Amino acid sequence: MAEETTELSQEQPQIHYSEKEKEEIFHGEFMPHINSMYNFGYRLTLDGDDAKDLVQDTYLKAYRFIESFQKGTNAKAWLFRILKNSFINDYRKKSKEPNKVDYQEVETYYNSEDVDRQITPDLRVEALKDMIGDEISNALNSLDVDFRTVIILCDLEGFKYEEMAKILDIPIGTVRSRLHRARQLLKEKLSTYAKSMGYKNTNV
Amino acid sequence: MLQVILDGEASDEQKQYFKQHMDICLPCFKGYELDMAIKQLVKSKCCGGDAPSDLVEQIRITISQKIS
Repeated sequence: MAEETTELSQEQPQIHYSEKEKEEIFHGEFMPHINSMYNFGYRLTLDGDDAKDLVQDTYLKAYRFIESFQKGTNAKAWLFRILKNSFINDYRKKSKEPNKVDYQEVETYYNSEDVDRQITPDLRVEALKDMIGDEISNALNSLDVDFRTVIILCDLEGFKYEEMAKILDIPIGTVRSRLHRARQLLKEKLSTYAKSMGYKNTNV
Repeated sequence: MLQVILDGEASDEQKQYFKQHMDICLPCFKGYELDMAIKQLVKSKCCGGDAPSDLVEQIRITISQKIS
């Protein structure tokens, strides 16, 4: 707990709030993000009960450390960061994620000049139109958690690169390279689905 | 470059350059079209809807106990 206190209070000076103000912040600024928070929790843990526990823990922590939160600032990013840290500390250890990728290697490669050259998998916009079921969701869930996370933050939640860097405690350059790699992997998955649905490899 | 355009993080110069480039470069145009379609599809298919009501209720109860 001591570690946690330091971490959460380092960024912002502590502000004193009355009980009434705390209640207003909690219900007015924190609770409106509950649906996004649950979806994030679910996409990280891939389990409904774990997601509930994770989100509940996060909200309790947010309340406990509410004086590190500056009223009117980006509550959603603040909450997402706490949830992400709780996930890493409490859940990631026990979850079964066997394949560890060497990100340093991946990111060095994707930070190189080749980044903008598109390695286009055999996938066309037409094929996507038939993915009306769970294909997209399953493809996203099948990505390694670090790659899944950047897609969730960027494409689902619309966070800016700078906000993502703060939520994930990584440099902006890493956000960009990880996002690039994540999209490439997602495309490969979707391309596999498209093939199984009978779309031929027609290179344009 | 495609990525900063896609995510709305491009500068005005980058946007201008990209716009002109797309008119003459079919592979880039196709690439952009595909990435944008996937981005939109992810958003429409993966947002998940409402959090379970028992979770919301549980948080409200716990916090109201702390406040009182």
